[in-house]
Amino acid sequence: METTVIEKEINMETVAIEDLRPNSIEIKNVTVSFDTPKGIYTAVKEIDLTVKKGEIIALIGHSGCGKSTLMGTISGMTKQTSGEVIANGNPVKGPGPDRGIVFQNYSLLPWLTVYKNIFEAVDSVFKDKSKSEKHEIVEKNLKMVNLFEHKDKLPGQLSGGMKQRVAIARAFSINPSILLLDEPFGALDALTKSSMHVELLKLRNLDNREKTIIIVTHDIDEAIFLADRVVVLNNGPASTIKEIVDVKLARPRNKKDIVHDPEYMKIHDRLLGLLIDKFSIDDIH
Amino acid sequence: MASKLKWTLLKFAPIFYTIVGLSILAFMWQCVSWGTAPKPGKENETQQIPGPIATIDTLGSVIREDSLLVGQNIGFGQTIMMEVGLNLVPKQSGAEKWINSTFDKDQTYQDSALKSLTVKLIGSLGRVLAGFILGSLLAIPIGLVMGSSKIGLNIINPIVQLLKPVSPLAWFPLGMIALSSAGGATIFMIVITSLWPTLINTAFGVSAIPEDHKNVAKAFGFSLWKYITKILIPYTLPHIFTGLKLSIGIAWMVIVAGEMLSGGNGLGFFAWESYNGGDLGRLLTAIVVIGTVGIILDKLFTYLQEKVSYKS
Repeated sequence: METTVIEKEINMETVAIEDLRPNSIEIKNVTVSFDTPKGIYTAVKEIDLTVKKGEIIALIGHSGCGKSTLMGTISGMTKQTSGEVIANGNPVKGPGPDRGIVFQNYSLLPWLTVYKNIFEAVDSVFKDKSKSEKHEIVEKNLKMVNLFEHKDKLPGQLSGGMKQRVAIARAFSINPSILLLDEPFGALDALTKSSMHVELLKLRNLDNREKTIIIVTHDIDEAIFLADRVVVLNNGPASTIKEIVDVKLARPRNKKDIVHDPEYMKIHDRLLGLLIDKFSIDDIH
Repeated sequence: MASKLKWTLLKFAPIFYTIVGLSILAFMWQCVSWGTAPKPGKENETQQIPGPIATIDTLGSVIREDSLLVGQNIGFGQTIMMEVGLNLVPKQSGAEKWINSTFDKDQTYQDSALKSLTVKLIGSLGRVLAGFILGSLLAIPIGLVMGSSKIGLNIINPIVQLLKPVSPLAWFPLGMIALSSAGGATIFMIVITSLWPTLINTAFGVSAIPEDHKNVAKAFGFSLWKYITKILIPYTLPHIFTGLKLSIGIAWMVIVAGEMLSGGNGLGFFAWESYNGGDLGRLLTAIVVIGTVGIILDKLFTYLQEKVSYKS
């Protein structure tokens, strides 16, 4: 009898600790439909999700399941048809400097140097800061992703991984409390991808782990390595949240060791089961 | 060693092919010249078209005449300035009288200078530039506006499609009526025919700005000014210059026809005058000069286009 009481107390405590973190993003009953010539297409339907400050959430699902659309409602690039999205306590009405975005295809301006690409974003967001302060911010962020010596190069002269590092530095440079990454490493090779994961977490640690990060991906390993929770979406159209899988792996996580962790394997299997119905040719009968 | 020779030779390949091409042209030209040679006993009935060598000879003598004029009298430069000035000011205005009184010094000298190819070339170039600049100043802003909205594009598109194929010669009388001066009508003709490529290319450039670039502006809250200077213009500039290159080519083509109609001091008139005077050598010289200047203008704009293009 006594032990259960104690357990209950501990549980209460952990719940209380979690509740201390303020809500960073609240998605309330959000539906997104598009008016197309073929009729109304509903991408995501009645989504509810609350993200705490400092959490890393991975949105995972098949291509076209609406994960990018859902992300769009947070960034403000996509307008929801119904429901409400609240970021940092304010309803999302459009893109804002409190939310930094990293696009899948880097989206660097090809005619501007690496330095200028970041500077224009900083210049646009921190209108009140002096020129030297802005330059300081750009330099700091370029050094953070180890690209300072490449600052005068054009994006066309960089490799895919370097381009994405510039895009990440650009997103960090406006110091957003929420970082939105839309399939950021999808176009990179596996090796570059791995080092980018570590680099991303390093950047977050430099920032006292205060940033909330939402990452859209279709890579299960990426999702587990980075996220605190993995949100699995159903197949579209009108996709909903299928399941939210907690990733209770201690940080800092080690790329090499983590794969041997039984918990990791359990989560991996669970996600694989949620995403894939058929595992071998024999399954078709 | 042998491979080094190969690459050195390959470097000269473009020049070699140019020489081959020009040789073929010269040969065909010579064949035409032989073909038009008067038959025995009918020497006075037809005129032989001069061959390439004879034409180069004429070109040489034309250049010699012009350089003599330059050497003879420093008034040559004044004559050019007078010609260009008279092209740009309205007829019978105070400015025209001022130009005439300031530069009019030696009538016989000026008469010979005005007949020279150099003065006519500069007169033509002046008119082309005036028309081209006016046309571009109209075309670029309209193109920018047209391209930035789908509705604008759809409204202006039929107008452009309708006016674009109209022959430059058809615009000339209209220009005469509107501006009641031959020089003005020529420039009007250039404006209205060289407008379209720049307009269309500018509009296309603006409408083709990738969604990715627009998203950057949205995500980081670019002001309209920043969007225009950092995204719209850098992306559109190469397209604008493609249009400008096509426009200057058309303007240069139209000027000759215009000057044949309007008279005055230009290469078109030089060619027409030479034909009337029965001097086919000078006519062909004019054609060679027109072609050469056309190439130079094209190369100039290709160079500018490369300058403003970014490498992705």
